[in-house]
Amino acid sequence: MVNRRIFMRNGAMALFAAGLGGVPSFVARAANNKKIIPPYKKNKTMVCIFQRGAMDGLMAVSPYADPNLKILRPSLYMSPSANEGKMFDLDGRFGLHPGLAAFDPLFREGRLAIVHGVGSPNNSRSHFDAQDYMEAGTPFNKGTASGWLNRAVGLLGHEGTPFRAVSLTSALPRSFYGDNEALAINNLQDFAIQMRGNPMAANIASKSFEQLYDVTSSQLLNKTGKESFDAMKMLNSNDIKNYQPTNGAVYPNSALGNSLKQIATLIKMNIGLEVAFAEVGGWDTHFNQGTANGSLARNLKDFSDSIAAFWKDMDAHQDEVTLMTMTEFGRTAHQNGTGGTDHGRASCLFVLGNDVAGGKVYNNIKSLAIQDLEDGRDLPVTTDFRSVFSAVADSHLKINDDKKLFPEWNGTGLKIMKS
Amino acid sequence: MKLQRMFMCFSAGFVFFVFSAFMQLNNNSKNEKYALHFPYKKMGLTDRQAAAHILSRFTFGAKPNDVDAVVNTGIENWFQQQLDGKLADDDVAQRLASYDALNLSNEKIIATYPRQSEILRLAIKEGIINKDSVNKGNKPEYKQQVKALMDKYGYKAPQELYRQLINQKIIRAAYGNNQLHEVLTDFWFNHFNVSLTKEQCAPFILTYERDAIRPNVLGNFETILEATAKHPAMLEYLDNATSVSNDNDIARKQRNSVAGQRAEQRMDEILNNPNANPLQKQIAAGKKNQGLNENYAREIMELHTLGVDGGYTQKDVTEVARALTGWALNPDLTFAKQVAQKLMSFTTWDKMAKQGFVKEGDFFFAANKHDQNEKIILGKKFSMGGGYYEGMEVIKMLATHPSTAKFICKKLAIRFVSDNPSQELLDNLSKIYLQTKGNIKAVIIAMVNSDEFWGKDALREKIKSPFELAVSSIRATNADVQQPFQVFNWCVKMGQKFYYYQAPTGFPDKASYWINTGALLSRMNFGLAFATQKIPGIKINLAALNNNHEPESIDAALVTYSKILLPERNQDENIKRLSQLIKEEDVEKKIDNAANANVVVNKDTNAEDETIMMNKKEEKAALNKKNAKPITTAYVQGNNSTIAQVAGIIIGSPEFQRR
Repeated sequence: MVNRRIFMRNGAMALFAAGLGGVPSFVARAANNKKIIPPYKKNKTMVCIFQRGAMDGLMAVSPYADPNLKILRPSLYMSPSANEGKMFDLDGRFGLHPGLAAFDPLFREGRLAIVHGVGSPNNSRSHFDAQDYMEAGTPFNKGTASGWLNRAVGLLGHEGTPFRAVSLTSALPRSFYGDNEALAINNLQDFAIQMRGNPMAANIASKSFEQLYDVTSSQLLNKTGKESFDAMKMLNSNDIKNYQPTNGAVYPNSALGNSLKQIATLIKMNIGLEVAFAEVGGWDTHFNQGTANGSLARNLKDFSDSIAAFWKDMDAHQDEVTLMTMTEFGRTAHQNGTGGTDHGRASCLFVLGNDVAGGKVYNNIKSLAIQDLEDGRDLPVTTDFRSVFSAVADSHLKINDDKKLFPEWNGTGLKIMKS
Repeated sequence: MKLQRMFMCFSAGFVFFVFSAFMQLNNNSKNEKYALHFPYKKMGLTDRQAAAHILSRFTFGAKPNDVDAVVNTGIENWFQQQLDGKLADDDVAQRLASYDALNLSNEKIIATYPRQSEILRLAIKEGIINKDSVNKGNKPEYKQQVKALMDKYGYKAPQELYRQLINQKIIRAAYGNNQLHEVLTDFWFNHFNVSLTKEQCAPFILTYERDAIRPNVLGNFETILEATAKHPAMLEYLDNATSVSNDNDIARKQRNSVAGQRAEQRMDEILNNPNANPLQKQIAAGKKNQGLNENYAREIMELHTLGVDGGYTQKDVTEVARALTGWALNPDLTFAKQVAQKLMSFTTWDKMAKQGFVKEGDFFFAANKHDQNEKIILGKKFSMGGGYYEGMEVIKMLATHPSTAKFICKKLAIRFVSDNPSQELLDNLSKIYLQTKGNIKAVIIAMVNSDEFWGKDALREKIKSPFELAVSSIRATNADVQQPFQVFNWCVKMGQKFYYYQAPTGFPDKASYWINTGALLSRMNFGLAFATQKIPGIKINLAALNNNHEPESIDAALVTYSKILLPERNQDENIKRLSQLIKEEDVEKKIDNAANANVVVNKDTNAEDETIMMNKKEEKAALNKKNAKPITTAYVQGNNSTIAQVAGIIIGSPEFQRR
């Protein structure tokens, strides 16, 4: 197996391979923090969050100053004024939804950038197609076998650990399809040999498996088996169970909050996480999406609170992390007949990190006048999603081959990163 | 008179003789390609080893005694039976008896399992739910109301359809007697992948597997290619149903008619009116934007036939897409149903057929949406006006192309021989493919007749997919699965959410795709959970597998169950290692201690586990009475015993992952 990494072959880690079961977590911690040689030490991590269902970018970050908006959305219009939703005024043109309150300080500190009018050049308004194209990173080719994040992993240019690419989902997302190893796991505590209610039996079974994988003649099974047991010991289940966020961070008790908390756990364990993926649903707001309150407001609050908690929790690790959100398309500029919005074209996304040139709403949006809308109904795509994705990946992960990251694309990265 | 009759008899006899001789000759030459002679002895395998190997490739795993049965039937005879695929399947029929979706037509499926959004719309229309309260969504009373509404109309949730689809696959694979057909159905489905993740295609996947894949797995490649091309699932999944052109006489005539002009005008009005109904606007925009979609055209060449290096260009992709414009679903299956029915009242099918329209079951060729101009595909000229037959010609051309022969034979060899089949084998198979114009059966026979199939480099060389692992465990233990969906959940955990693979490539058939740290641990946990019966709805009788003989020690249990679960594999080294571990770790004593210790019920311990501990205690007490020697025999009692653990370890072991 070419392209598979040598995992923890140095002295400190050999300890784990030799010891059977229960490595004291303090040993693990000491080893993790001090003994691991580069490049594992202090690698950077890019965290991607996919908002499945197509977030209404025009309400999340609303061009409230455009007089057309109120006409298009008579009952969904919001602005910073107290009786119109009390948005956070970002720059006199765009308002931040009150549900995204947790983003406001991050934006003002210049760590959070917003890119508006983002989307795919392929005008498909099907969730499936648009997600597929965005995750494959090839908007006109469905047959691309790999996902863009998997290609990003391949372009890192150094060996990694089994935790290099982790998706907090039950199945591997399209973004992670491909030749480079990626782990899909809902709950980190599942990363162990388990026999419910019978830890002793689990322990014996675990040792038995370790012996068997050690002698198998199949190279792949032998090597991966070794890595699995090494990794399992690193990921001490007590450390995960008892994980305490630092810096007073409080994660919402939600699927996304939980995913981000586990990503934080992995980052702090310093076991080589470089690309992390999480997803959050509920954005397909065809019916009664509400304004300052309602379903979209609730989702936005969970979304921003989870991300803000993660950022707070990152604490001393903040320099290592950049977080980026994405959604397959935006929603119609008009409201529809059922108090919601239908499938549209462009939406907005958020990029958070200390390398980010934040505090700005990057956009090429003209106006919402009907002649400026795509097909007379949608916010047109004025920024290709690849120009944002590549900018973040290139700068944060030091990838420099956009041709491989996004085949068939000749654009350039958007300047949203400091370096 | 007599003479005449004699002469007639004679001549008839003579004709018959000549005819039958000719037939025989014909049969012989035909038979040659379809005759089975497996060179396993030459390759150094015993009958039993050969039987175990062929079972590992063309079934979802050997059941207890399968090896003996195959040897007794004769390996070639057994394979011939599998090729014929006519064995009775009563067990499967019985297990599927309550699955009411499996025989439905597409039309009936759509009518029975509407999309969630349609139900919501209906609920609003019926005033059952207020459109302003929809988002208070998950409240029980809301759910109840929707349920009542669905009952009223006889609707069922799409999840139920998917559940039946998933479960039937597991049941057929685990209990079907025509295993070769099951394995090939799995193979071809993955080759022509469609996905439940795409809502438009999801309702048709059950019939796709049933009607387009399953009956065609051993026929001509062209047949299965055509069947998939025309099936609603594929037409939706790769968007060919939306790929249209108005570059034809019918559309031109329509456009220039008064009605056509009016329609055009109206569409523009809707689009330019800021106050127009958004749904109307969406439809109008959709109509305006429609045109060529190359997705299917690209994938039929790249993934289904020629392969990515098969020698086609982007120009060919566009040309194939043009040739397939108008290939669509029967309008009865789409939202255009009513419009289509209305239109039909103005005309007749005869008239439409004369214009070039074709309706074939659920497939529809819309002549008015077909690009009628000349095309050049892979160097061949298709003259103007070929209509429906042009697409058929393209399919034939692709199916019998030398690149397709190479591509398909390689994929088959990778699935059934090894991850790295030799060039020599591939060349030979491609030759057979081309000689037989793509006969899949002939290719498979040639493959099994080859030395390489039986060679050392092929034995145990393949890594089971999670589905293969799960089903082979069921088969190896004669397990009774009452809740197949639980098996699916484990497959997902192990990395194979089948029917949900999003990309048209299908799951990669590569060991390194299936084996990574997380997936491997899940496989081990699956083995343990499965054998100790922690998976709900699965019953196993491990003692019965050993004729209810109780092994004398853990060592003995290891040897015995290794043989049962992994027939014809050399397990000496594994057993040695584990025996050593058992000694070093003093496993028996630990189990003893645990049995003696006060039963501490921890939070996670469920009632079932408690019973185990109690059983152990009782067993031990009983043993101590009978026997002064303090051996721990937790094995006997049920499956939550040491035996179950041993079986679990074997199923999670590396050897069991191989086939």
